[in-house]
Amino acid sequence: MRSPTTAPALRLVGLVKTFGEKIAVDHVELTVPRGSFYGLVGPNGAGKTTALSMAVGLLRPDEGRALVHGIDVWEEPLRARRLMGVLPDGLAMPERLTGRELLTYLGQLHGLSAGEADRRADELLAVMELDGAAERTLVVDYSTGMRKKIGLATALLHAPKVLVLDEPLEAVDPVSAATIKTILRRFVGHGGSVLLSSHVMALVEELCDTVAVMARGRVVAQGPLGAVRGGRSLEETFVDLVGVTIGGGEGLSWLAS
Amino acid sequence: MVGILIRMKLAVLRHSTTDAKTALNGLGYSAGFCLAVATLVLAFLDFSHPRLLMDLLAVTFALWALGWMAGPIFAGEPPLNGEHFHRQPIPRRTLAMGLLAAALVAVTTAITLLAFCALIVFAARLSWVAVVVSVPAVVLLLLLVVLLSRVVTLLFRMLAKSRLGGVVTATVTAAMVSLASFSWILIIGVSLLLEYGFPPAFSTVVRSLPSSWSLIAVEAAGRGDWLWTVGPLLALAVVVAALFLAWSALLGPQRIARPVVRGSSARQAARRGSLFRSMFRGDQGAIYLKELRTWWRDPVRTQGIVMGPAFAVITVLFPLIFGFTAAFPFVGAASALMAAATCGNSYGQDGTALWLTLMVPGKEKADVRARQLAWLTIFGPLTLALTVAGCLLHGDAALVPWALAATIAALGGGSGLLAWVSVVALVPGPDPHKSKNSPMDHGDVTGQSFLMFFLVALAMCPALGVAWVGHALDLPTLLWASVPVALLTGVLGHVLLGSVAARTLRDKGPELLYLMRSGKPASTAGKTGEEAGKSPFEAMSGKRQTLMWSGMAVGVLGLFPQGLAPLGIKLSGSQAKVWFLALHVPEPWQWPVIAVMVAIGLAGFWAAHQVYRTEKSRLQAASSRLRPCP
Repeated sequence: MRSPTTAPALRLVGLVKTFGEKIAVDHVELTVPRGSFYGLVGPNGAGKTTALSMAVGLLRPDEGRALVHGIDVWEEPLRARRLMGVLPDGLAMPERLTGRELLTYLGQLHGLSAGEADRRADELLAVMELDGAAERTLVVDYSTGMRKKIGLATALLHAPKVLVLDEPLEAVDPVSAATIKTILRRFVGHGGSVLLSSHVMALVEELCDTVAVMARGRVVAQGPLGAVRGGRSLEETFVDLVGVTIGGGEGLSWLAS
Repeated sequence: MVGILIRMKLAVLRHSTTDAKTALNGLGYSAGFCLAVATLVLAFLDFSHPRLLMDLLAVTFALWALGWMAGPIFAGEPPLNGEHFHRQPIPRRTLAMGLLAAALVAVTTAITLLAFCALIVFAARLSWVAVVVSVPAVVLLLLLVVLLSRVVTLLFRMLAKSRLGGVVTATVTAAMVSLASFSWILIIGVSLLLEYGFPPAFSTVVRSLPSSWSLIAVEAAGRGDWLWTVGPLLALAVVVAALFLAWSALLGPQRIARPVVRGSSARQAARRGSLFRSMFRGDQGAIYLKELRTWWRDPVRTQGIVMGPAFAVITVLFPLIFGFTAAFPFVGAASALMAAATCGNSYGQDGTALWLTLMVPGKEKADVRARQLAWLTIFGPLTLALTVAGCLLHGDAALVPWALAATIAALGGGSGLLAWVSVVALVPGPDPHKSKNSPMDHGDVTGQSFLMFFLVALAMCPALGVAWVGHALDLPTLLWASVPVALLTGVLGHVLLGSVAARTLRDKGPELLYLMRSGKPASTAGKTGEEAGKSPFEAMSGKRQTLMWSGMAVGVLGLFPQGLAPLGIKLSGSQAKVWFLALHVPEPWQWPVIAVMVAIGLAGFWAAHQVYRTEKSRLQAASSRLRPCP
């Protein structure tokens, strides 16, 4: 085992998860190098969310391990989670707090001093444009885009080394999306590592330097973006790798007839 | 449309059923079946007082209607509702007709229909013309309760989106639950009733309710009074039609906007005051503040705050009809008991927000304690104040130690139990941000509320036991010792059960999160290997074992000593009463009680069998999965 100082940002080793008859994640191996912007792509139901949930300690794997900077997420949860910032897709928050109340609350739980927590909350809310008119809005009344932004703010609050983001830009308006992209680029520019999942190929091509393709619970390809797509667009490569045929051309003759 | 919606409803039910749900539903259906049989048996009885049977039936039908109205508040929304279809181009009237038909296809409806057949039995004792009249009368009565239930659910749903509406909803619900639970007065006062009948004013009120109109019509048909036969039936048909129209009007998209609750300003959120700082210091303080804010801002929690005290106040006011005030001092204890019973789903209500607790490990204990403290902060002073007020109003100092002991024991036991139950018997429902516009759309917490109610009542027993011994031996010191005993059991319950809850949360956090994400317990796929070759008894989880053996115990107790044994004694003409409940009640009630006991016993055995069977089929499915493919 490599020492924590040289270990990759995130390593998934033989992760397996079965739900009843269905093998959702089938021996997934993934290595996110330090300082990389890593994209995990795959069709709906490929097992991305399940794999990421196991990687961050929200879902207990049937087999396998997840290591953050060499620290096992399931054996040393406290140390591992200090290094991680997580944005799950579509989960609830303490809904009856305002954005600032939520960040202050989490800052206190993370052990930040009151002054530091307030300063970070201030900056994060300003960057995410969740202050001003939205100041007194409760999270339960946030729009989808605002929920993503406050989720990202909670993930960044304790200054993690690795960000694990599940569909961070889904249903986010273009302006907010641009903000989030800028923040993530800055994070990687300063030495952080990002693992994000998406089924939008263009987004992954735009942001990521390394990609992995998941299909039917397995990782079917991974490596630097250029190597994986091999001169074509990521979408063409993806369709080939996943082995699907594009539907929509047949049937539906009754539609708009 | 009717056929499509019925098939759709059955499909939804088929896909949302888990084995624990099946067992719990089985128990509920068995209880409902017993009540229906009891209602039927009632119609066979002879009473010395001529109007008593009709009054009793009227009260019983009113209770069934109340049950239908209050049921959805605990059980959540019906499987199909108008919201599911409001984007489809279906006329509302057609949709309402289809949904009504789908609502009628249900075990609960069948059980209610069985109970309402008491009307036919009643008619058969009058004349054959009455029997003819009783058939449409039963149909109208059934339509009345089903439609009432649906309309009330929609109205509550509209109201419950705001905090003020939450207060109204909770008060009305509390009144209904309180009224329904007052049926025990009938049993206690049965000897008085048998002699004097109901007070005339009471029977006039009950008979004027729409749920009694079909009864009035049938009775009038028996007398050959056609005006009073056709009149009430027509009026009932008009009420049913009006309810149907109201329901179809309400089915569409919701037109009343949800009042938005605002949070604190930037300055308030980062408050610096020293009092504020010292109150909400550390992890527990932070979570406590979050909990208090949630209690204050969430309309669903407003309902929770009002429900317990409203239930208690209405419950102690009700016996004033008979000039009985001895219940006054216990208003606080009843509030605490009901508040604990309705607040047992703390984590379930927060839904998948649990992920944040998992992401900052080591704070589980602070989380549980903060929730307990927030509950105590809200209900502690309130219930103690109610107790003091009740004692002052009643004025008899003899009841004060009882009332204080009961309140303190319920508060302490309740705060421990609600933490524990909210993790070991969590009821998943939609996430709060997904159900913000439909607060009635939650998991079915009926079973959990009953469980909490009985456990908290059990936690009150030691203190009340001491009070009782002090009272029986005429030792005032011992009687007053019940208060420190209550404090002791309360603190123990709060501390120990809270710790167990925190440990469960730490060890099973991801499994609880999965339960809330998917609505079903974590997969047992990983265990199937070890489970192969085991008998269902060995492989069963602790919870299911408890369920099965409780079913067996209820079965044995109900069927043999409380059912068949008194039956034998009655048939043999012996006078021995022993501990057989049926033989201790007045003569006309003995046969019904035996019948109910036999039914309860059979239901217990049936429930145990269901648990065993589901476990067995699960094991079979698991072992067939393990077998290598040919």
